[in-house]
Amino acid sequence: MRAVRAALPLVIVLALVAALLAISTVARVISARAGFLVERPAVLVVWLIGLLLGAALIAWVVRAALRSADSPLSLWLLVLSAVALASPLLLVLLQHPAP
Amino acid sequence: MMIPADDPRTQRLQRGRRAVAALLLTAGILSFGYVGVSSYVAEQLVYATPIPIDKTPASLGLRFAYVTFPSRQDHLMLRGWFIPGVLPNGGLTADRAIVVVHGTRTNRESKGDHQLQLTGELARHGLAVLAFDMRGAGESTPAPLSMGTLEQRDVLGAVDFLRSGPIPIPELGRPKVIGGLGISMGAATLLMAAAREPAIQAVVSDSAYAEVVPLLEREVPKRTVPVIGHVPAGFVPAALVMSQVLYGADFFAARPVDSIANIAPRPLFLIHGLADDYVPISNFQRLNAAATTPSAAHVTTWLVPKARHAQAFKVTGAEYVTRVVGFFDASLGADRSQPGAAA
Repeated sequence: MRAVRAALPLVIVLALVAALLAISTVARVISARAGFLVERPAVLVVWLIGLLLGAALIAWVVRAALRSADSPLSLWLLVLSAVALASPLLLVLLQHPAP
Repeated sequence: MMIPADDPRTQRLQRGRRAVAALLLTAGILSFGYVGVSSYVAEQLVYATPIPIDKTPASLGLRFAYVTFPSRQDHLMLRGWFIPGVLPNGGLTADRAIVVVHGTRTNRESKGDHQLQLTGELARHGLAVLAFDMRGAGESTPAPLSMGTLEQRDVLGAVDFLRSGPIPIPELGRPKVIGGLGISMGAATLLMAAAREPAIQAVVSDSAYAEVVPLLEREVPKRTVPVIGHVPAGFVPAALVMSQVLYGADFFAARPVDSIANIAPRPLFLIHGLADDYVPISNFQRLNAAATTPSAAHVTTWLVPKARHAQAFKVTGAEYVTRVVGFFDASLGADRSQPGAAA
């Protein structure tokens, strides 16, 4: 059960990525059908609020998972979550390595 | 059973927890910060402040009609001018129409590359011109800038308008043949549109890019955006992705080099400035190589000495007009609007 809780942050990160892909698909459908007429700043504000909520959700789940982590397996699962969280940065570093 | 706090296993676990907490905190702050800033850069990237139009073809002594038509597929309203061609006898004609497509962050007047003057020259040589503002530019509907991916629908809308929309000047009738001339982003957009639309029977591309992402990766870090100033290069790839996610502006699909071969066997005229340091000459070379791949390709090229980006008309003036009009005359045929005109 505790191992499951330790894996929860990873699940949440993956779910957020899936939500991002879903938003992307919906945006493309809207764009293809009716043009993207939504006000530009409104889109950004809604998105940033979503990001903050996502960050808060992950922070809450991670805090609970850290408190109950009582084995190396739990900690390794949390390290995996950190890698998943850092993946956007890692992808950029892979594409554009520092000179 | 209680495990004492000084148990080595417990201490190791505590240290591990602290290390993992620090790792998660760092990864979270950096990643969410990175995505947040990239989203902001994307919002700036897809927006170009519409530039008002100061002059009309009337300032060149030309007759014209204001036109409004929808883009193809997403039906955004676009505004433009329809300028009839002027025949040697002073009569007007709409027999051959040229869709003129402006570059990025400008409008159908496009002072920077003297597009209004070029448009006037084409009209004075007997070619009717449809010059319009693409989405998000001039007087057309506000919309994200996508460097050609979405804008090609505007060019296709212009073609639809000429073929089946209300006739701009009824007494001149509907154009019988359609060509296109684009400059910079307008050229790239026109190339992608012409590859899809066979009704565009001849294409002049001036200073087009082969693909836009390398250009953006180089140019965006030079720009300043409010609040953060210069955009660090590392944010550009994510900003391009976020532009697509948030605004449907898929810069990665703005690749005329992939579809230019489909223009064959229709005639294509590629123009590029030899001193162009914004869209380097390698873009011209890639486009030319791709365009000439089909055995039926009919490609004419002109590399203009001393011309910087989109400045070929400014540098060469009359020679530019002679070459472009000559290309359209050869590709579209002579004007047939007058009784007894060349068959």
